[in-house]
Amino acid sequence: MNEHNDETTKETGGSDIATDGGTDRDVVELPDQVELPRMLDFYELQTEETTQISEFYDNLADGQLTTTRCTECDELHFPPRIVCPECHSDELEYVDLPHEGELFAFSTVRAGAPMGMEDEVPFVLGIVDLGPVKLSAHLDDAEYDDLEIGDPVEMKVVEIDGPVDHERVFYRFEPQE
Amino acid sequence: MTRNVGIVGGGHTKWGVREASYKDLIQEAGKAAFEDVSDVTPDDIEGLFVGSVQPERFAFQTHVAPMVAELLGIDVDSMIARTELACASGQAALRYAWLAIAAGQIDTALVLGVEKMNLPRQYDAEAQTSMANVMDREFDGVNGFNAPPYFAMIAQRHMHEYDTTREQLALVAAKNKTHAANNAFAQFQKEVSVDDVVESFPLSPPLCLYDCSGVTDGAAGLILMSEEKAREVTDEVAWVTGSGQTCLASNSINNLPSFSAWPQATKAAEQAYEQAGIDDPLKELDVAEVHDCFSISEIVEYEDLGWVEKGEGGKFIEEGRSELDGDIAVNPRGGLLGCGHPLGATGVSQALEVFNQFRGTVEPERQVPDPETGLIHNLSGSASVHSVMTLARGRP
Ligand SMILES: CC(C)(COP(=O)(O)OP(=O)(O)OC[C@H]1O[C@@H](n2cnc3c(N)ncnc32)[C@H](O)[C@@H]1OP(=O)(O)O)[C@@H](O)C(=O)NCCC(=O)NCCS
Ligand SMILES: [Zn+2]
Repeated sequence: MNEHNDETTKETGGSDIATDGGTDRDVVELPDQVELPRMLDFYELQTEETTQISEFYDNLADGQLTTTRCTECDELHFPPRIVCPECHSDELEYVDLPHEGELFAFSTVRAGAPMGMEDEVPFVLGIVDLGPVKLSAHLDDAEYDDLEIGDPVEMKVVEIDGPVDHERVFYRFEPQE
Repeated sequence: MTRNVGIVGGGHTKWGVREASYKDLIQEAGKAAFEDVSDVTPDDIEGLFVGSVQPERFAFQTHVAPMVAELLGIDVDSMIARTELACASGQAALRYAWLAIAAGQIDTALVLGVEKMNLPRQYDAEAQTSMANVMDREFDGVNGFNAPPYFAMIAQRHMHEYDTTREQLALVAAKNKTHAANNAFAQFQKEVSVDDVVESFPLSPPLCLYDCSGVTDGAAGLILMSEEKAREVTDEVAWVTGSGQTCLASNSINNLPSFSAWPQATKAAEQAYEQAGIDDPLKELDVAEVHDCFSISEIVEYEDLGWVEKGEGGKFIEEGRSELDGDIAVNPRGGLLGCGHPLGATGVSQALEVFNQFRGTVEPERQVPDPETGLIHNLSGSASVHSVMTLARGRP
């Protein structure tokens, strides 16, 4: 969970600024920390009450990476959809994706990470070619200097620990032994 | 298009880490734009188009176009909107203003681009968070894909497929940052050598710190007019001769046509060239402000804007063909690499630069000799969208 840390405001703001009559003023109190609304969390809510691709997340929680395929025009999508972008049919089915693929490209983040990811710096990112789809991925247990284009990688499922009332999962990749 | 449209004036704030609010930046740029062309006043403005990407997060403010109207005293008669197209928001605003005037809906428009990206130090990650959400946040941003690692992968693929070298990337950064050293508005006003670039912090290899644009506060404004009105106020006009834009049904990683080529840029450029009657851009364009958010971007753009064969972009910079005295002077302003990149303001600033190059009002060190034609280019998001506009000194 990301927190908006309010230190600066506390140091410089409010009652320290002594001016005439200041002590009589009413005080408007703000909480020290404001919780980020769930919308500002990188991970989507994953239940069927919140998204119509909850089946993707259910499958992932069961250990299987899947995506949608259109039963009308046969187009395979990624990310998963509820309407086929090719023919606008909503007759889609979930199909399995391979869990092993090749590194198509990769880099590392040594500074300038987004909120909530600063603690993981430096981390390695890649584009993984699974054959039917290419997806972006966070690479665990990888050293940038040891990697090469074409290296084999495999998927793993991680649990997202955060303040929502349902379990969330996501996929990451790691180099194959 | 039915009517000629021209830029008749513009103004700029200092860009950088500014001790100024979002609203301060709007007022500075607006004042400068109106002061540039004394015969146009806020009362003349019929259309207002504001390029701004994330004021909801950086400034906690929505409905920003009416705020601009209020701050600058503009009663808008006809059209008012904010445009959001990530890094191309400024050019999108410019494009809509051009269209509205060309179509005869209005005669005079203000285009203002503004972004306040630097928050107090402890919130540094905020800007990065917002920039990680330009691809599909649920499937790309979530992994930590903001711009530097993503463009690092584009560089890696380009080097892999076309043998582009680390040094060629550095040549782009050194050229643009050195131009910026002579630009009073720029965020990074320090001359930089090729060695400085490759020795700078290896942020997201193969890209180093100096291969990156910055996190920037800034604004810029432009006044556009129909030919009929423009004639009444000034002789110095940058005429819009063409404008193209393409998105190939893609935004997230899996749906991009390529990582080392931007066919969308080629299409957008072809649209603009055709409208402008440009057959050979390399010969016919004098100055270009292209989207060098990272050094690699400019190399891909040399190729995909149709100036050299695919894969020859690295040689183009190596041979000095994009220098001030080269085939096309590319990014004399200093580019995003040198000026910084206050997202919504960048396209507006680029067009203003071309106008200033035409009028000969830029610092002499970076003045292109007698330019008659120019181009601005922006990519946005995962580079899935490209926007190109051509400008000319002579009336089309
Ligand atoms: C590259 C980047 C991550 C560096 O951020 P950072 O590590 O937080 O750097 P800081 O702000 O702490 O700055 C550290 C120093 O580097 C300098 N610096 C920062 N960015 C720089 C850049 N792009 N070029 C040159 N110098 C830079 C700062 O001026 C500062 O110098 P100082 O120590 O002399 O004052 C950040 O500038 C960035 O994200 N740039 C890309 C912006 C982007 O993605 N835009 C969208 C493009 S599509
Ligand atoms: Zn279909």
